[in-house]
Amino acid sequence: MSKNSARGSSKLAGVRRISGRGILAFSRERKIPYLLLGIGLIIFPIVDTYTPNVDFVGDAGRWILLALGLNIVVGYAGLLDLGYAAFFAIGSYTFAILASPQFGIHISFWLLLLVAAFVAAMFGVLLGAPTLRLRGDYLAIVTLGFGEIVPRVIRNASKFTGGVNGIVGTDQPMIPAFLGFHGYSFGLNPVPYYYLMLVIIVITILLIRNLRNSRLGRAWMAVREDEVAAAATGINTVTTKLLAFALGASFSGFAGSYYASKLFIVTPETFSFVVSVTVLLMVVLGGMGNIRGVIVGALVIYAIQAYVLVQLPGWIASATQALDIGFLNNVDISGYVQRSSILIFGVILVVIMLLRPQGLIPSAQRKVELELGTTEEAVSDLRGSA
Amino acid sequence: MPLLETRGLTKRFGGLVAVDGVDLSVEEGEIFAMIGPNGAGKTTMFNLIAGLYKPSSGTIRFRGKWVYPVREYWRTYLPPLAGYYTMANAVRQALGAGRLPIGLRPHAVTALGIARTFQNIRLFSYMTALENVMVGEHVRMRAQVWDALLRSPYARKEERQVRDRAMEFLRFVGLERYAEQYARNLPYGFQRRLEIARALATQPTLLMLDEPAAGFNPQEKAQLMDLIQEIRRRGITIFLIEHDMKVVMEVSERIVVLDYGEKIAEGPPQKVRTDPRVIEAYLGKSA
Repeated sequence: MSKNSARGSSKLAGVRRISGRGILAFSRERKIPYLLLGIGLIIFPIVDTYTPNVDFVGDAGRWILLALGLNIVVGYAGLLDLGYAAFFAIGSYTFAILASPQFGIHISFWLLLLVAAFVAAMFGVLLGAPTLRLRGDYLAIVTLGFGEIVPRVIRNASKFTGGVNGIVGTDQPMIPAFLGFHGYSFGLNPVPYYYLMLVIIVITILLIRNLRNSRLGRAWMAVREDEVAAAATGINTVTTKLLAFALGASFSGFAGSYYASKLFIVTPETFSFVVSVTVLLMVVLGGMGNIRGVIVGALVIYAIQAYVLVQLPGWIASATQALDIGFLNNVDISGYVQRSSILIFGVILVVIMLLRPQGLIPSAQRKVELELGTTEEAVSDLRGSA
Repeated sequence: MPLLETRGLTKRFGGLVAVDGVDLSVEEGEIFAMIGPNGAGKTTMFNLIAGLYKPSSGTIRFRGKWVYPVREYWRTYLPPLAGYYTMANAVRQALGAGRLPIGLRPHAVTALGIARTFQNIRLFSYMTALENVMVGEHVRMRAQVWDALLRSPYARKEERQVRDRAMEFLRFVGLERYAEQYARNLPYGFQRRLEIARALATQPTLLMLDEPAAGFNPQEKAQLMDLIQEIRRRGITIFLIEHDMKVVMEVSERIVVLDYGEKIAEGPPQKVRTDPRVIEAYLGKSA
C-alpha cells in the first residue's frame, strides 16, 4: 500500500506554503513583488505630497480591514453575514465614548484599539449565540436584523451616544513623549494616519493568514463544507462558529477606532445597511476565502465608488467638449451620467461577476468549484495511475 | 465490561419508531456487524451513538462513561446553555419531574473515542485529502486561539506533527499520492478510504463504519476487508453496518440483526444465518 511513499513525501513538501518563523513567517514565492509593493506604499506619501491623495489611499485601508474581517465569517466559516456594519459601528462608538468630551473620558488610542476590537468581538459572540442553529438564507436574515438594530439603538440611546448628532470631538492618536522625544499628536494630518493604517493592515494580514493555516482555520472550513461531518469528526461547531463571529468582528473594531479618531466625529448614519452590503461585495467580488483577492476586491470597489463614479461626469464633459460634435453639445450627457451613477455601478458589478464568477483572485477551493474541466481530468488521471 | 453498551435505546420520529428498545454490547477488540433490511434503523442507531440524534429513551455507555444521558452540562455545553439546563433541572426537580436528559454533543463523543464514517460519503469536498485527515486530528490537538493567531512555537510544532501523522494515515489507506488532491476530485473508492483515514485520525477506540462496501466491486471489497482486518490488528474495535452478506459473514465475529427498529437476532455469523426470524425479515414470511 505504501509503495509510493517517496512520491508522497515529495508532494508533501509542496504543501508547506509557509516558511520562516513565527508570526512573521513569509510566503516562499513572490518575495520580491511584495517587497517592491511594500517600498512603494512606504514612500508613497513622501513622493506624493498632495495630502488628499494620501487621505484617499489611507481611507481605502479602512475598507480593506473591514473586508478582511468579514472574510473570516463569510469566506472561511461560510456564515452569510449581512449586518457586518453593526460591528464597525460598535467599534467606532466604543472608541468615541471612551476617548471624547462626551463623558470626559480620554483613554489612549493605542489601548482603545484593542478595547474596541474586544468589545466588537463580544458583540460578535452575542450575535452568534442565537444564530447557531441557522444556516444560509435564515442566518443572513437574522444578521440583517442585527445590522439594522444596532444603528437604531445608537440613534435612540442619545444619553450615551449623542443620538442623531453623534459624538463630536473624538481624540486623535498621540505618540507619547519618551527619552527626549516630545511626543506627537496626529491631529488633522492624514500622513501619519496613512502609516498607522499600513501597519494595522500588515498586522491584520499576518494574523488572518496565521488563522487560516491553523487548527481553527481548518475547523472553520470543515464547518463551511459540511457541518454534520465536522461535528462527527470532533469539531465543536458551537465554539468554532462563535470564534468566527468574534474574530471577524474584532477586526472591524480596529477599523472602527481608526475611523472614529480620524473623522473627529461618529454618527449613526455612517453605519447603514449599504456599508454591510459594500463590504460583502468586496469579499465576494474579490474572491471569497482568499486574502489577496479580498484586498483587491476592496480596492477595486472603493476605487470605483470613490473615484471612477465621482470623476466620470467630469471626464465625459471634457470628452464631449474636446470632440465638439454639434448635437452632443446640446445634450447634458455628464448630467445623465451623474444622476445614474448607481446604475453604472450596478452594470460594472454585473459585468465583473459575469467575467469572473469566482472572484478577481479566487481561493484555490473556488477555482476547483468553477472549473469543471479540471475535475474530469483529475479523475481520469487518478484512474489511469491507480 | 463491554466497550459500548446500549440499554433499551429508542428513537421516535413523530409516530414512527425508528429504533425500539435495542440492547447492544460491543466487546473490546471484536469486529461487530449490524445488519437488517432497508429502514430497519441501523443508521439511526449510529446517529444516536454518535450524538447526532438525541434518544427518546434508553442509555448509552462507552468504556464505562455515560454518552447518554449525561449530568455534567458544564463540560459539554457553553456556560449560557449549561446554565439554562441547570436552572431548568432545578425547576423540574422541584416539581418532581426528574432531570432533563441530555447527551454528549457529537464532538465530545468523538473525543471519548468513537469515530464514524457515513453511508453517503461526507467529506470536506473543497479541502485536500491531507486537510481532511488533519481535520480528523483536530480533536487531539491542543493549540489555542492565541497560538493560532501568533503562530506560537507550540502551534508550529503541533502543526508539523499533525501534518506528518496525517500523511501516515493517508499512507495507511494507500492515498499518500493524492494528499494534495481535493477530496471531491478523488474517485469514489478513494473517497471511501479517505473517510476511513479521517475517522482514524481522531484516534478512536471504536470505529463505526456505515456501509463501507457500498458500490464496490468484488476486488475493492476484498481490499476493504483487508483494510478492516488491518485496522483491528491495530487495536481498534470495529462496528459496521453492511448490506453485503458476503462481506459481513466473512469479516465479522458477531452480528446483530435489526428489523423495524427491533433487535431480532444476535450471535456469530453461522447462528444468525440460519435464524428463522432473520430469514423471514429478509425474504418475507412465505419463504
